[in-house]
Parts: sequence; structure tokens; C-alpha cells
Amino acid sequence: MKILGQIGLVFGICLLGQVVAALLPIAFPGSVISMILLFLLLLFKVLKVDHIRQKADFLLKNMAFFFIPAGVGIVAQFDAIKNSIPALLLVVVLTTLLTFGSTALVVGGLIALQDKLEKRQSRRRRPR
Amino acid sequence: MNQVFSEIFASPFFGIALCILTFEIGVWIEARTKIAVANPLLIAVILCIAVIEVFSIPLASFNVGGEVITVFLGPATAVLALAVYLQLARLKKYFVPVLAGTIVGSVVSVTSAYFLCQWFGLDRTLTKSMVVKSVTTPFAMAISQNIGGIPSVSVAAVVLTGILGAVFAPLLIKLFHVTHPIAQGVAIGTSSHAVGTSKAIVLGEVQGAMSGVSIGLAGVVTVILSLFLPQ
Repeated sequence: MKILGQIGLVFGICLLGQVVAALLPIAFPGSVISMILLFLLLLFKVLKVDHIRQKADFLLKNMAFFFIPAGVGIVAQFDAIKNSIPALLLVVVLTTLLTFGSTALVVGGLIALQDKLEKRQSRRRRPR
Repeated sequence: MNQVFSEIFASPFFGIALCILTFEIGVWIEARTKIAVANPLLIAVILCIAVIEVFSIPLASFNVGGEVITVFLGPATAVLALAVYLQLARLKKYFVPVLAGTIVGSVVSVTSAYFLCQWFGLDRTLTKSMVVKSVTTPFAMAISQNIGGIPSVSVAAVVLTGILGAVFAPLLIKLFHVTHPIAQGVAIGTSSHAVGTSKAIVLGEVQGAMSGVSIGLAGVVTVILSLFLPQ
């Protein structure tokens, strides 16, 4: 599909996501709803990977770039947080460390456990 | 003369050009130094802030172009669906570990932020603004508002957390000996949402997709957790 068509498709899905978000009774981000919508469209083969491939690659490869203005926006919050900056920074650093570590340990541990159980099962299934 | 400058600064092309230029400088420095702290996003943000402070450019002028770039955040999040779809077989096989990881990680994030804020003597409003720091911006703003935090402070904490995750993900992977690519991806996505995911994508397709899944899962878990926070 031509790149303009791909852009139209992705932006259209984003618009649809925001419509759904506005209709929902609870606060749920439109971008995450768009992600779920796009996933379902791919899952039920309404869309093919090739329909959005180039546009998706462009967005994913440059993802960090799109966060620059949001990062620069911290300047505007300076007055609200200036008295607590060291404490806030410490909280951010420590919680990120704890969250990363605990998540990695749980996922890594459970994957290892699952693989081990499957191996044992397949060994048992094999005829002697 | 001054008026000419303020007109230039208020053009959408100024913000966009500054972001692209500083990001390219960041990419160049990262390629040259190959150290984690030389993260293109971090470098670009620091350079942009330096430029607007030095030339006393109003943030509103920068944001004329900045908002054009921010518009792409929604589509960038949405197309993570493609990354997830391409890794569907892996996700199906390891769905339980992935789900358990995002739940545990989100609980750790919210509770550790809550108790650390209390411990450091931060007030209730700041504490409430901080507990949402590991989820992606739209989730964080919505939750922060619901529980009585300051959404803009939450956004600052979220962005800082994300940049921290993107910068230190490779180091944290070594520190915690995280060998499995799925565990790496889920840990990045759960602890540092979409900004961290931008780094996970660079680490590999599996990491990127799993980090993308975790953004959504961690967001939902945190919404539910926020209902149980003490008032």
C-alpha cells in the first residue's frame, strides 16, 4: 500500500480509538485503545501486515524522537517541584530500579519454570 | 530585530527543526561514545531546554512545533500492535509469566513510590502524583486526576522515569542478569512505559514487542491499584 494510504489508515485508527475513549465511562487512554483496535484488526485478518508496515516501521524506529517535546515540557513544572527535586529524583530512581528488578525476576523465573515443566512432561510422554 | 526573532521562534518549523537537530546530535554522540548516558532522547531534551533558556524563548513558541511532533505519539503507541502481532506465538506461549510480571511490577512500582514519598516527607498531593510514574503518559494523567494528584507533576515524573529506563535499561539487564529477551522486554515496558520501549525496540524485536504489551497491561493494573490507595 502507498505510504499516504498507510498514514491515513493508522491515523484513522487513532481517531477511532479516541472516539471509543470518549464513549467509555472510565478514563482509558485513546492511544492504548487504538493499539488494541489495530491488534484486533490484524488478528482477524481485516488488515494485513503489509497495509501498515512502512508507516509502522517509521514510527517504531523513531519512537524516542516523538517524546522530546514532552521531555522539554518538564521545564514548565519546575516551580511546582523545585523544593522537592532531590527527593523526587531519588523516588524516581529507586522505584524504577525496584520495578525493573522485580518484573525481570518474576518473568525470567516463571519462564524458566514453565520451560522446565514442559521438558519434564515431554520426556515423560516419550515411550520407554 | 527582536520581533523578527520572536516570529521565527513562534514558527512551527522552529520547534520541529530544533528537535530534529538536537536528536541527530544525540544519535551522533551515542554512536561515537557508545555509553548508556549518551541517550539521544536525553541529549535532545537537555539541548532543547538549554537553547530555549539561553535565548529566552517562550515554551509556548517551542511547543507550536513541539505539538506537531507530540501528535505522532498516539500513532507510535498504536503501531506497537504490529510488533505484538508479529510476536504473537511467543506471547501466547508465555502469557502467564508476562501477565504475572506486569502485575508484580506494577504493584512494586505503586507501593514503593507511595512509601518512599512518605519516607522522604513529601506531601499527599505530590505522593499521589508520583505513584503513577511507571505508566504511559495518558494513563498517568487520567489516574493522577482521579486520585487527587497534580497531572503535570505526574507527567514530569513519567517522562523522567521513561528517560531513566531508556538510558539505563542495558545496565539494569546486566545488573539483574536478565538473560531472556521476553523478561528484558516486560521489565522495560513495566518500569518505564513507552519511552523505555523506544530503547527495547533497539535491543531486539522480541524485547520491543513484549515491552509494548507491558505498557498496556501495566497501565490497566495501575488503574485498578489506584482505586485501593489510601485517601
